[in-house]
Amino acid sequence: MTRNVALHLSGTLMLLVSCGTSFAADLVVGMPNWPSGQASANIIKFGIEKELGLDVEVREMGTLTIFAGLDAGEVDVHPEVWLPNLDSLVKRYVDDKKTVKLSPKEVAATQGMCATRETADTYGIKDIADLSDPEKTSVLDTDGDGQGEIWIGAETWSSTTIERIRAESYGYTKTVKLLEMPEDLAMAAVDAASATNEPIVFYCYSPHHVFDLHDIVQLTEPKHDDGKWKIVLPSDDPAGWLSKSSAPVGWPPSHFQIAFATKTAERLPKVASFLSRIDFTAKEVTEMSYALQVEKQDPAAFAQKWIATHEDRLESWTK
Amino acid sequence: MKTDWKAGPNELMLKMSQLPVPYFTLSSRAVRGIAACLALALAAGVTLAYAAETQIFDPKTHKWVEYDRKKARSYYAAHKQVPETFRRQVVKFKTAEKPGTIIIDGNQHFLYLVQPGFTAIRYGIGVGREGFGWAGIVRVGRTAEWPTWTPPAEMVARDPNAAKWAGGQPGGPDNPLGARALYLYQGNQDTIYRIHGTPEPWTIGLDVSSGCIRMNNDDITDLHSRIEVGAKVIVLMQGASLYKGV
Repeated sequence: MTRNVALHLSGTLMLLVSCGTSFAADLVVGMPNWPSGQASANIIKFGIEKELGLDVEVREMGTLTIFAGLDAGEVDVHPEVWLPNLDSLVKRYVDDKKTVKLSPKEVAATQGMCATRETADTYGIKDIADLSDPEKTSVLDTDGDGQGEIWIGAETWSSTTIERIRAESYGYTKTVKLLEMPEDLAMAAVDAASATNEPIVFYCYSPHHVFDLHDIVQLTEPKHDDGKWKIVLPSDDPAGWLSKSSAPVGWPPSHFQIAFATKTAERLPKVASFLSRIDFTAKEVTEMSYALQVEKQDPAAFAQKWIATHEDRLESWTK
Repeated sequence: MKTDWKAGPNELMLKMSQLPVPYFTLSSRAVRGIAACLALALAAGVTLAYAAETQIFDPKTHKWVEYDRKKARSYYAAHKQVPETFRRQVVKFKTAEKPGTIIIDGNQHFLYLVQPGFTAIRYGIGVGREGFGWAGIVRVGRTAEWPTWTPPAEMVARDPNAAKWAGGQPGGPDNPLGARALYLYQGNQDTIYRIHGTPEPWTIGLDVSSGCIRMNNDDITDLHSRIEVGAKVIVLMQGASLYKGV
């Protein structure tokens, strides 16, 4: 009798759990708005669904929202956390609050100022110091004031703040005008400049499809030096961040990692193990970016195709 | 505008002048749009005082010579068309934007309609005297054939030529909007900017009068026949004065 009651209760609970899963996924993967982040979020979704049999939802949101969700237990995964750009968030949530964990696997990335090959070869803009030479930068002028313009990133990007600090530190704020605008606008400008062999200089990061689309070179600059890299963010000092910052050197070696909630790792250790083994290469991430941005492939369809053709990788992540 | 661009082998090479460009904030877009249409209206029948210092490179003398609206008109009269650079042509154009997208480079006076296979149809355009005045990502909200042009109230009040069209100038060869107009929207909001035809085809390639984008009537008709309402339109920052400098 007792056993029958237990079976009844168990069945009821299973039904409730079953009903619950029809309304809420087992896992929520935050999806940022850049192409490789969209692709990898979907690969994580379909990979976990296939290998671990869980129901995974991909939800589009910004990085700050994803981190807040990881902290609050409302989001489980961030597919692409860029460092050192998000050092402050990592310090807050990973080091101090310990509510978020980072996968040990890193994808190497680069950031800096880039130019088309034409700009470097014909106009001699090859090194970051060339941006402080008004004769050289005058060829980048497009609004008729004799001073060149360069794009330093989208207004909302953490890297844009750092690029502004770098420009101030190197001194080329005196010779060029810094522009902030959505990435689509900036990339279309690179397309138009390449089509007409006009010079252009712009903030760049890799992995990114622009390196496959055009012949792009990164401007050389002094190697990163931790002792010279002093970044104060506007959120920490709204009035004095720029004057208190200094970074007259290249970016530190950059990379990105998958992040997941500590609670998720406790609740679903197999998921944490799977996420910790994902080892995308920089080449694969560039291919993701190209497939979504240039070839206009749907992120979910691309991910399903990727999963179907990379079974060995999925198996290695599941071990 | 420092761009040098080569025309065909027997054409002139032009060098656009460097003009001081004021900065505007986003909130002034509508104001500027109205100003653009005022200037546009003037262009319909009244010769504007053209202040740009455009120069032409004469391949025979190897000298840069002053070039103005009058000379551009003479060139058009002699050749019955604009310099080859500004004529409609298919060009290589590698981009991540999908076919059907319009990309406008006000600095070089080109409008690209992205096509499959990393190509684009490139058209010559005329833009505002002070460069382009704005930049951003908009869409084609609606289109019209031989659109009616209605002068703004301010213009009607002070300009007798405009006053006679206070109720709207019917579409036709003298209408400043030309043969077709593509109305640019941001979301569901009309930006007041248009891509339109012109009764002054010789002005293509120049910084002439308005914040709108003008094309010759054949080209705007061709573009109109190829685009879908809703098409993405990217107006580059190059040559624009809207985006803030830091």
